Amino acid sequence: MTPNPLALIAEITHRCPLHCVYCSNPLEMAAASSELSTEKWIDVFQQAGNLGMLHAHLTGGEPLARPDLTELIAGARAAGLYTNLITSGIGLAEMRLKALVDAGLDHIQVSFQDSREDSANWIAGAKAHAHKIELSQLIRRHKIAFTVNLVIHRQNIDHLDEMISFIEQLGPERMEIANTQYYGWALKNRAALLPTRLQLDKAMEAVAAAEKRLDGRIRVDFVVPDYYARLPKACMGGWGRRLMLINPAGKVLPCHAAEVIPGLQFENVREQSLENIWQHSPSFQRFRGEEWMPEPCRSCDQRTQDFGGCRCQALLLTGNVEATDPACTLAPAHHIVEAALAEANSTTAVSQPTSASSFVQLQRAENLWTYRTNPD
Amino acid sequence: MSPPEDTSQPRLAAGCRWGGTEEARVILFPEGAIKLQGTGRQVLERCDGQRTFGEIIVELQSQFADADPAKIRADISQFLEQLRHKRIVDY
Repeated sequence: MTPNPLALIAEITHRCPLHCVYCSNPLEMAAASSELSTEKWIDVFQQAGNLGMLHAHLTGGEPLARPDLTELIAGARAAGLYTNLITSGIGLAEMRLKALVDAGLDHIQVSFQDSREDSANWIAGAKAHAHKIELSQLIRRHKIAFTVNLVIHRQNIDHLDEMISFIEQLGPERMEIANTQYYGWALKNRAALLPTRLQLDKAMEAVAAAEKRLDGRIRVDFVVPDYYARLPKACMGGWGRRLMLINPAGKVLPCHAAEVIPGLQFENVREQSLENIWQHSPSFQRFRGEEWMPEPCRSCDQRTQDFGGCRCQALLLTGNVEATDPACTLAPAHHIVEAALAEANSTTAVSQPTSASSFVQLQRAENLWTYRTNPD
Repeated sequence: MSPPEDTSQPRLAAGCRWGGTEEARVILFPEGAIKLQGTGRQVLERCDGQRTFGEIIVELQSQFADADPAKIRADISQFLEQLRHKRIVDY
Protein backbone atom coordinates (compact mmCIF):
# COMPACT_ATOMS: atom_id res chain seq x y z
CA MET A 1 0.00 0.00 0.00
CA THR A 2 1.22 3.46 -0.90
CA PRO A 3 0.96 5.95 1.99
CA ASN A 4 -1.93 8.41 1.66
CA PRO A 5 -1.51 11.59 -0.33
CA LEU A 6 -1.33 14.77 1.75
CA ALA A 7 -2.92 17.41 -0.41
CA LEU A 8 -5.19 17.96 -3.36
CA ILE A 9 -4.51 20.63 -5.95
CA ALA A 10 -7.85 21.49 -7.52
CA GLU A 11 -7.47 23.38 -10.80
CA ILE A 12 -11.13 24.24 -10.94
CA THR A 13 -10.95 26.22 -14.19
CA HIS A 14 -8.34 27.26 -16.73
CA ARG A 15 -10.20 30.49 -17.51
CA CYS A 16 -8.30 33.56 -16.31
CA PRO A 17 -8.49 37.32 -16.82
CA LEU A 18 -4.68 37.52 -16.59
CA HIS A 19 -2.21 36.39 -19.23
CA CYS A 20 0.99 35.98 -17.20
CA VAL A 21 3.91 35.02 -19.36
CA TYR A 22 5.09 32.30 -16.93
CA CYS A 23 1.71 30.71 -16.16
CA SER A 24 2.03 27.16 -14.79
CA ASN A 25 -1.00 25.95 -16.73
CA PRO A 26 -0.33 23.69 -19.70
CA LEU A 27 -0.21 25.18 -23.19
CA GLU A 28 -3.22 23.00 -24.03
CA MET A 29 -5.87 24.06 -21.57
CA ALA A 30 -9.15 22.45 -20.58
CA ALA A 31 -12.15 24.04 -22.30
CA ALA A 32 -14.77 25.80 -20.20
CA SER A 33 -17.39 23.34 -21.47
CA SER A 34 -15.42 20.38 -20.07
CA GLU A 35 -15.32 21.66 -16.46
CA LEU A 36 -16.54 19.46 -13.60
CA SER A 37 -19.85 20.33 -11.97
CA THR A 38 -20.23 21.76 -8.47
CA GLU A 39 -21.56 18.42 -7.22
CA LYS A 40 -18.65 16.46 -8.66
CA TRP A 41 -16.06 18.75 -7.07
CA ILE A 42 -17.80 18.46 -3.69
CA ASP A 43 -17.78 14.68 -4.07
CA VAL A 44 -14.06 14.80 -4.94
CA PHE A 45 -13.30 16.84 -1.80
CA GLN A 46 -15.22 14.31 0.26
CA GLN A 47 -13.14 11.50 -1.25
CA ALA A 48 -9.96 13.45 -0.56
CA GLY A 49 -10.92 13.90 3.10
CA ASN A 50 -11.73 10.20 3.42
CA LEU A 51 -8.38 9.36 1.85
CA GLY A 52 -6.65 11.25 4.68
CA MET A 53 -5.64 14.34 2.73
CA LEU A 54 -5.29 17.47 4.86
CA HIS A 55 -5.21 20.38 2.41
CA ALA A 56 -7.20 21.47 -0.62
CA HIS A 57 -5.51 24.10 -2.77
CA LEU A 58 -8.10 25.68 -5.06
CA THR A 59 -6.40 27.20 -8.04
CA GLY A 60 -6.85 27.78 -11.75
CA GLY A 61 -6.73 29.65 -14.10
CA GLU A 62 -8.55 32.03 -11.86
CA PRO A 63 -10.75 30.11 -9.40
CA LEU A 64 -12.95 33.19 -8.94
CA ALA A 65 -14.10 32.70 -12.54
CA ARG A 66 -16.32 29.91 -11.15
CA PRO A 67 -19.53 31.43 -9.72
CA ASP A 68 -19.88 28.41 -7.39
CA LEU A 69 -16.54 29.00 -5.63
CA THR A 70 -18.19 29.67 -2.25
CA GLU A 71 -20.00 26.31 -2.44
CA LEU A 72 -16.75 24.58 -3.38
CA ILE A 73 -14.91 26.09 -0.39
CA ALA A 74 -17.77 25.05 1.90
CA GLY A 75 -17.64 21.54 0.40
CA ALA A 76 -13.90 21.22 0.92
CA ARG A 77 -14.16 22.48 4.47
CA ALA A 78 -17.06 20.12 5.24
CA ALA A 79 -14.80 17.27 4.07
CA GLY A 80 -12.35 18.24 6.83
CA LEU A 81 -9.83 19.86 4.51
CA TYR A 82 -7.78 22.98 5.18
CA THR A 83 -8.83 25.31 2.36
CA ASN A 84 -6.41 27.46 0.42
CA LEU A 85 -7.44 29.80 -2.39
CA ILE A 86 -4.69 30.66 -4.88
CA THR A 87 -5.87 33.70 -6.79
CA SER A 88 -5.07 36.86 -8.71
CA GLY A 89 -7.91 38.50 -6.79
CA ILE A 90 -9.65 39.63 -9.96
CA GLY A 91 -13.36 39.12 -9.37
CA LEU A 92 -13.13 39.48 -5.60
CA ALA A 93 -14.75 42.35 -3.71
CA GLU A 94 -15.97 42.80 -0.16
CA MET A 95 -19.21 40.76 -0.27
CA ARG A 96 -17.76 37.75 -2.00
CA LEU A 97 -14.69 37.70 0.22
CA LYS A 98 -16.91 37.68 3.29
CA ALA A 99 -18.98 34.85 1.82
CA LEU A 100 -15.81 32.81 1.18
CA VAL A 101 -14.55 33.39 4.72
CA ASP A 102 -17.95 32.46 6.14
CA ALA A 103 -17.88 29.30 4.03
CA GLY A 104 -14.65 28.28 5.81
CA LEU A 105 -11.79 29.67 3.76
CA ASP A 106 -8.61 29.24 5.83
CA HIS A 107 -5.93 30.84 3.66
CA ILE A 108 -5.76 33.13 0.67
CA GLN A 109 -2.71 33.45 -1.52
CA VAL A 110 -2.70 36.47 -3.81
CA SER A 111 -0.18 36.74 -6.61
CA PHE A 112 1.52 40.01 -7.48
CA GLN A 113 3.57 40.45 -10.65
CA ASP A 114 5.66 43.41 -9.48
CA SER A 115 5.63 46.37 -7.08
CA ARG A 116 5.52 48.83 -9.99
CA GLU A 117 2.15 49.15 -11.62
CA ASP A 118 3.30 49.51 -15.24
CA SER A 119 5.57 46.54 -15.02
CA ALA A 120 3.05 44.39 -13.12
CA ASN A 121 0.36 44.99 -15.73
CA TRP A 122 2.85 44.39 -18.51
CA ILE A 123 3.83 40.97 -17.10
CA ALA A 124 0.20 40.00 -16.42
CA GLY A 125 -1.02 41.35 -19.77
CA ALA A 126 -3.89 42.94 -17.88
CA LYS A 127 -4.63 45.92 -15.64
CA ALA A 128 -4.82 44.06 -12.37
CA HIS A 129 -2.29 45.64 -10.03
CA ALA A 130 -4.34 48.42 -8.40
CA HIS A 131 -7.20 46.05 -7.63
CA LYS A 132 -4.85 43.61 -5.90
CA ILE A 133 -3.68 46.35 -3.53
CA GLU A 134 -7.26 47.25 -2.62
CA LEU A 135 -8.09 43.61 -2.11
CA SER A 136 -5.13 43.09 0.22
CA GLN A 137 -6.52 45.77 2.52
CA LEU A 138 -9.90 43.99 2.59
CA ILE A 139 -8.28 40.63 3.32
CA ARG A 140 -6.57 42.00 6.42
CA ARG A 141 -9.97 42.67 7.98
CA HIS A 142 -10.57 38.93 8.18
CA LYS A 143 -8.93 36.34 10.41
CA ILE A 144 -7.59 34.14 7.65
CA ALA A 145 -4.00 33.44 6.71
CA PHE A 146 -2.72 35.75 3.95
CA THR A 147 0.20 34.97 1.68
CA VAL A 148 1.52 37.20 -1.07
CA ASN A 149 3.15 35.37 -3.91
CA LEU A 150 5.59 37.06 -6.24
CA VAL A 151 7.19 35.37 -9.22
CA ILE A 152 10.63 36.77 -9.96
CA HIS A 153 12.54 36.68 -13.23
CA ARG A 154 14.90 38.67 -15.44
CA GLN A 155 12.46 41.56 -15.93
CA ASN A 156 11.70 42.37 -12.28
CA ILE A 157 14.41 40.73 -10.14
CA ASP A 158 16.66 43.83 -10.13
CA HIS A 159 14.33 45.67 -7.76
CA LEU A 160 13.53 42.76 -5.44
CA ASP A 161 14.31 44.96 -2.39
CA GLU A 162 11.62 47.37 -3.48
CA MET A 163 9.17 44.52 -4.11
CA ILE A 164 9.80 43.02 -0.66
CA SER A 165 9.12 46.41 1.00
CA PHE A 166 5.96 46.69 -1.08
CA ILE A 167 4.73 43.27 0.09
CA GLU A 168 5.64 44.10 3.68
CA GLN A 169 3.21 47.03 3.56
CA LEU A 170 0.41 44.71 2.50
CA GLY A 171 0.81 42.97 5.87
CA PRO A 172 0.67 39.24 5.03
CA GLU A 173 1.83 36.44 7.35
CA ARG A 174 3.89 35.03 4.50
CA MET A 175 5.56 36.07 1.33
CA GLU A 176 6.56 33.56 -1.27
CA ILE A 177 9.31 34.76 -3.57
CA ALA A 178 9.33 32.21 -6.34
CA ASN A 179 11.79 32.00 -9.17
CA THR A 180 10.13 31.10 -12.43
CA GLN A 181 9.93 27.38 -13.17
CA TYR A 182 10.37 26.62 -16.84
CA TYR A 183 7.42 24.60 -18.07
CA GLY A 184 4.63 25.46 -20.48
CA TRP A 185 4.34 29.20 -20.96
CA ALA A 186 7.51 30.01 -19.02
CA LEU A 187 9.59 27.61 -21.11
CA LYS A 188 8.25 29.27 -24.24
CA ASN A 189 9.32 32.63 -22.79
CA ARG A 190 12.50 31.45 -21.11
CA ALA A 191 14.93 33.75 -22.90
CA ALA A 192 13.03 36.79 -21.60
CA LEU A 193 12.68 35.36 -18.08
CA LEU A 194 15.88 33.56 -17.08
CA PRO A 195 17.94 35.89 -14.86
CA THR A 196 21.69 36.33 -14.98
CA ARG A 197 23.94 34.91 -12.27
CA LEU A 198 24.63 38.42 -11.03
CA GLN A 199 20.93 39.24 -10.81
CA LEU A 200 20.32 36.06 -8.86
CA ASP A 201 23.18 36.63 -6.40
CA LYS A 202 21.84 40.07 -5.58
CA ALA A 203 18.33 38.66 -5.15
CA MET A 204 19.54 35.99 -2.73
CA GLU A 205 21.17 38.70 -0.61
CA ALA A 206 17.92 40.68 -0.58
CA VAL A 207 15.98 37.59 0.52
CA ALA A 208 18.46 36.72 3.28
CA ALA A 209 18.29 40.28 4.65
CA ALA A 210 14.48 40.27 4.51
CA GLU A 211 14.24 36.92 6.31
CA LYS A 212 16.29 38.33 9.14
CA ARG A 213 14.49 41.64 9.34
CA LEU A 214 10.96 40.21 9.13
CA ASP A 215 11.50 37.18 11.40
CA GLY A 216 8.46 36.53 13.59
CA ARG A 217 6.33 38.94 11.56
CA ILE A 218 6.38 37.75 7.95
CA ARG A 219 7.66 34.36 6.94
CA VAL A 220 9.71 34.51 3.75
CA ASP A 221 9.62 31.41 1.56
CA PHE A 222 12.07 31.42 -1.32
CA VAL A 223 11.69 29.06 -4.25
CA VAL A 224 15.16 28.48 -5.69
CA PRO A 225 15.78 28.64 -9.42
CA ASP A 226 16.71 25.09 -10.30
CA TYR A 227 18.73 26.04 -13.39
CA TYR A 228 21.26 27.65 -11.05
CA ALA A 229 21.12 24.94 -8.37
CA ARG A 230 23.68 22.17 -7.91
CA LEU A 231 21.04 19.50 -7.37
CA PRO A 232 17.54 19.22 -8.81
CA LYS A 233 14.35 19.96 -6.90
CA ALA A 234 12.23 17.17 -5.44
CA CYS A 235 9.42 18.10 -7.79
CA MET A 236 6.00 17.87 -6.04
CA GLY A 237 7.79 16.07 -3.17
CA GLY A 238 8.33 13.16 -5.53
CA TRP A 239 6.14 11.73 -8.28
CA GLY A 240 2.94 10.26 -6.83
CA ARG A 241 4.23 10.52 -3.26
CA ARG A 242 2.35 13.43 -1.69
CA LEU A 243 0.04 15.25 -4.06
CA MET A 244 -2.76 14.74 -6.54
CA LEU A 245 -3.74 17.41 -9.04
CA ILE A 246 -7.14 17.44 -10.68
CA ASN A 247 -7.52 19.52 -13.81
CA PRO A 248 -10.74 21.40 -14.68
CA ALA A 249 -12.03 18.48 -16.73
CA GLY A 250 -11.48 15.96 -13.92
CA LYS A 251 -8.25 14.41 -15.12
CA VAL A 252 -6.03 13.32 -12.23
CA LEU A 253 -2.33 14.16 -12.57
CA PRO A 254 0.78 13.81 -10.38
CA CYS A 255 1.79 17.40 -11.24
CA HIS A 256 0.85 20.51 -13.22
CA ALA A 257 2.79 19.60 -16.33
CA ALA A 258 2.45 15.80 -16.48
CA GLU A 259 0.26 15.84 -19.57
CA VAL A 260 3.31 16.71 -21.69
CA ILE A 261 4.63 13.18 -21.12
CA PRO A 262 3.68 10.99 -24.07
CA GLY A 263 2.38 7.50 -23.44
CA LEU A 264 0.84 8.19 -20.04
CA GLN A 265 -2.92 7.82 -19.68
CA PHE A 266 -4.54 9.84 -16.93
CA GLU A 267 -7.71 8.65 -15.24
CA ASN A 268 -10.71 10.90 -14.63
CA VAL A 269 -12.67 11.41 -11.40
CA ARG A 270 -15.82 11.06 -13.48
CA GLU A 271 -14.97 7.38 -13.94
CA GLN A 272 -12.81 6.28 -11.02
CA SER A 273 -12.43 7.00 -7.33
CA LEU A 274 -9.47 9.05 -6.10
CA GLU A 275 -8.38 6.16 -3.91
CA ASN A 276 -8.35 3.75 -6.81
CA ILE A 277 -6.36 6.18 -8.93
CA TRP A 278 -3.86 6.85 -6.13
CA GLN A 279 -3.29 3.15 -5.45
CA HIS A 280 -3.54 1.64 -8.92
CA SER A 281 -3.10 4.22 -11.71
CA PRO A 282 -0.19 3.07 -13.93
CA SER A 283 0.66 6.75 -14.48
CA PHE A 284 0.99 7.43 -10.75
CA GLN A 285 3.07 4.27 -10.36
CA ARG A 286 5.27 5.01 -13.34
CA PHE A 287 7.95 6.99 -11.43
CA ARG A 288 7.29 5.87 -7.87
CA GLY A 289 10.21 4.21 -6.14
CA GLU A 290 13.62 3.78 -7.76
CA GLU A 291 13.11 1.02 -10.32
CA TRP A 292 12.83 3.41 -13.25
CA MET A 293 15.96 5.40 -12.37
CA PRO A 294 18.97 5.54 -14.68
CA GLU A 295 22.52 6.17 -13.54
CA PRO A 296 23.80 8.41 -12.01
CA CYS A 297 20.53 8.61 -9.97
CA ARG A 298 20.26 4.92 -9.18
CA SER A 299 23.47 4.82 -7.14
CA CYS A 300 23.36 8.44 -5.91
CA ASP A 301 22.95 9.28 -2.21
CA GLN A 302 20.60 12.10 -3.15
CA ARG A 303 18.01 9.83 -4.77
CA THR A 304 15.92 9.64 -1.59
CA GLN A 305 15.94 13.44 -1.36
CA ASP A 306 15.28 14.60 -4.92
CA PHE A 307 13.85 11.38 -6.45
CA GLY A 308 15.84 12.02 -9.62
CA GLY A 309 14.39 15.51 -10.06
CA CYS A 310 11.53 16.49 -12.31
CA ARG A 311 10.24 14.08 -14.98
CA CYS A 312 8.53 16.78 -17.01
CA GLN A 313 11.69 18.90 -17.10
CA ALA A 314 13.72 15.84 -18.14
CA LEU A 315 11.33 15.22 -21.00
CA LEU A 316 11.00 18.84 -22.09
CA LEU A 317 14.76 19.43 -22.19
CA THR A 318 16.16 16.05 -23.29
CA GLY A 319 13.24 14.29 -24.96
CA ASN A 320 13.80 11.34 -22.60
CA VAL A 321 11.37 11.15 -19.69
CA GLU A 322 13.64 8.78 -17.74
CA ALA A 323 16.74 10.97 -17.95
CA THR A 324 18.25 12.49 -14.83
CA ASP A 325 16.83 16.00 -14.50
CA PRO A 326 19.25 18.19 -16.52
CA ALA A 327 19.13 20.78 -13.73
CA CYS A 328 21.37 18.38 -11.77
CA THR A 329 25.08 19.12 -12.18
CA LEU A 330 25.66 15.33 -12.24
CA ALA A 331 23.23 14.76 -15.12
CA PRO A 332 24.65 13.61 -18.46
CA ALA A 333 22.41 16.25 -20.12
CA HIS A 334 23.38 19.12 -17.79
CA HIS A 335 25.02 20.83 -20.78
CA ILE A 336 21.50 21.75 -21.99
CA VAL A 337 20.92 23.84 -18.87
CA GLU A 338 24.45 25.23 -19.07
CA ALA A 339 23.79 26.38 -22.63
CA ALA A 340 20.63 28.21 -21.54
CA LEU A 341 22.57 29.86 -18.72
CA ALA A 342 25.40 30.86 -21.03
CA GLU A 343 22.90 32.58 -23.29
CA ALA A 344 21.18 34.30 -20.37
CA ASN A 345 24.50 35.59 -19.07
CA SER A 346 25.79 36.83 -22.41
CA THR A 347 23.04 39.38 -23.03
CA THR A 348 21.66 42.20 -20.93
CA ALA A 349 18.25 42.74 -22.46
CA VAL A 350 15.90 43.96 -19.79
CA SER A 351 12.81 45.45 -21.34
CA GLN A 352 10.85 46.78 -18.40
CA PRO A 353 8.39 49.52 -19.34
CA THR A 354 8.86 53.04 -18.12
CA SER A 355 5.83 55.11 -17.25
CA ALA A 356 6.15 56.68 -20.68
CA SER A 357 5.43 53.40 -22.44
CA SER A 358 2.36 51.55 -21.26
CA PHE A 359 2.30 47.78 -21.27
CA VAL A 360 -0.18 47.84 -24.14
CA GLN A 361 2.28 49.77 -26.31
CA LEU A 362 5.08 47.44 -25.34
CA GLN A 363 3.01 44.41 -26.12
CA ARG A 364 2.52 45.69 -29.64
CA ALA A 365 6.01 47.01 -30.13
CA GLU A 366 7.99 44.00 -29.04
CA ASN A 367 8.10 40.30 -29.58
CA LEU A 368 9.76 39.77 -26.22
CA TRP A 369 7.32 37.12 -25.06
CA THR A 370 4.08 35.29 -25.66
CA TYR A 371 1.15 35.98 -23.39
CA ARG A 372 -0.85 33.09 -21.97
CA THR A 373 -4.06 32.63 -23.93
CA ASN A 374 -7.43 31.47 -22.65
CA PRO A 375 -9.13 28.10 -23.17
CA ASP A 376 -12.12 27.80 -25.52
CA MET B 1 12.53 38.33 17.16
CA SER B 2 12.33 37.99 20.94
CA PRO B 3 11.03 35.13 23.12
CA PRO B 4 7.61 35.43 24.81
CA GLU B 5 7.39 37.53 27.97
CA ASP B 6 5.42 36.54 31.06
CA THR B 7 2.60 38.88 30.06
CA SER B 8 2.47 37.68 26.40
CA GLN B 9 -0.76 35.94 25.42
CA PRO B 10 0.19 33.25 22.92
CA ARG B 11 -2.42 32.22 20.34
CA LEU B 12 -2.58 30.46 17.01
CA ALA B 13 -1.73 32.84 14.13
CA ALA B 14 -4.45 33.82 11.63
CA GLY B 15 -5.51 30.89 9.49
CA CYS B 16 -3.90 28.23 11.71
CA ARG B 17 -6.28 25.83 13.42
CA TRP B 18 -6.73 22.43 15.02
CA GLY B 19 -7.65 19.45 12.86
CA GLY B 20 -7.34 15.68 12.74
CA THR B 21 -9.01 13.33 15.19
CA GLU B 22 -9.08 13.30 19.00
CA GLU B 23 -6.40 10.57 19.00
CA ALA B 24 -4.25 12.25 16.39
CA ARG B 25 -4.62 16.01 16.73
CA VAL B 26 -2.79 18.23 14.26
CA ILE B 27 -2.33 21.94 13.78
CA LEU B 28 -3.15 22.86 10.20
CA PHE B 29 -1.41 25.82 8.61
CA PRO B 30 -0.99 27.06 5.03
CA GLU B 31 1.97 24.90 3.99
CA GLY B 32 1.36 21.81 6.08
CA ALA B 33 0.43 20.30 9.40
CA ILE B 34 2.20 19.28 12.59
CA LYS B 35 1.19 16.32 14.70
CA LEU B 36 0.97 17.20 18.35
CA GLN B 37 1.34 14.69 21.13
CA GLY B 38 2.06 14.86 24.83
CA THR B 39 3.48 18.08 26.17
CA GLY B 40 3.50 19.91 22.82
CA ARG B 41 -0.24 19.42 22.60
CA GLN B 42 -0.69 20.46 26.24
CA VAL B 43 1.18 23.68 25.59
CA LEU B 44 -0.67 24.61 22.40
CA GLU B 45 -4.08 23.79 23.85
CA ARG B 46 -3.36 26.50 26.40
CA CYS B 47 -2.37 29.06 23.75
CA ASP B 48 -5.89 30.49 23.60
CA GLY B 49 -5.04 34.18 23.54
CA GLN B 50 -6.43 34.48 27.09
CA ARG B 51 -3.85 32.80 29.27
CA THR B 52 -0.52 34.58 29.62
CA PHE B 53 2.80 32.86 28.97
CA GLY B 54 3.47 33.14 32.73
CA GLU B 55 0.19 31.35 33.54
CA ILE B 56 0.84 28.59 31.03
CA ILE B 57 4.27 27.98 32.57
CA VAL B 58 2.85 27.77 36.09
CA GLU B 59 0.13 25.34 34.99
CA LEU B 60 2.59 23.02 33.31
CA GLN B 61 5.15 23.29 36.11
CA SER B 62 2.53 22.10 38.59
CA GLN B 63 1.35 19.37 36.25
CA PHE B 64 4.90 18.09 35.74
CA ALA B 65 6.11 18.64 39.29
CA ASP B 66 8.91 16.09 38.90
CA ALA B 67 10.62 18.01 36.12
CA ASP B 68 12.99 20.94 36.56
CA PRO B 69 10.78 24.10 36.45
CA ALA B 70 13.54 26.16 34.82
CA LYS B 71 13.86 23.60 32.05
CA ILE B 72 10.07 23.57 31.50
CA ARG B 73 10.13 27.35 31.10
CA ALA B 74 13.10 27.31 28.74
CA ASP B 75 11.65 24.49 26.61
CA ILE B 76 8.22 26.07 26.23
CA SER B 77 9.74 29.45 25.44
CA GLN B 78 11.86 27.93 22.71
CA PHE B 79 8.95 25.88 21.36
CA LEU B 80 6.75 28.98 21.00
CA GLU B 81 9.54 31.01 19.48
CA GLN B 82 10.06 28.34 16.80
CA LEU B 83 6.35 28.28 16.02
CA ARG B 84 6.26 32.05 15.76
CA HIS B 85 9.17 31.94 13.36
CA LYS B 86 7.01 29.68 11.16
CA ARG B 87 4.02 32.02 11.63
CA ILE B 88 1.94 29.36 13.34
CA VAL B 89 1.82 31.14 16.72
CA ASP B 90 1.63 34.80 17.66
CA TYR B 91 2.38 36.31 21.06
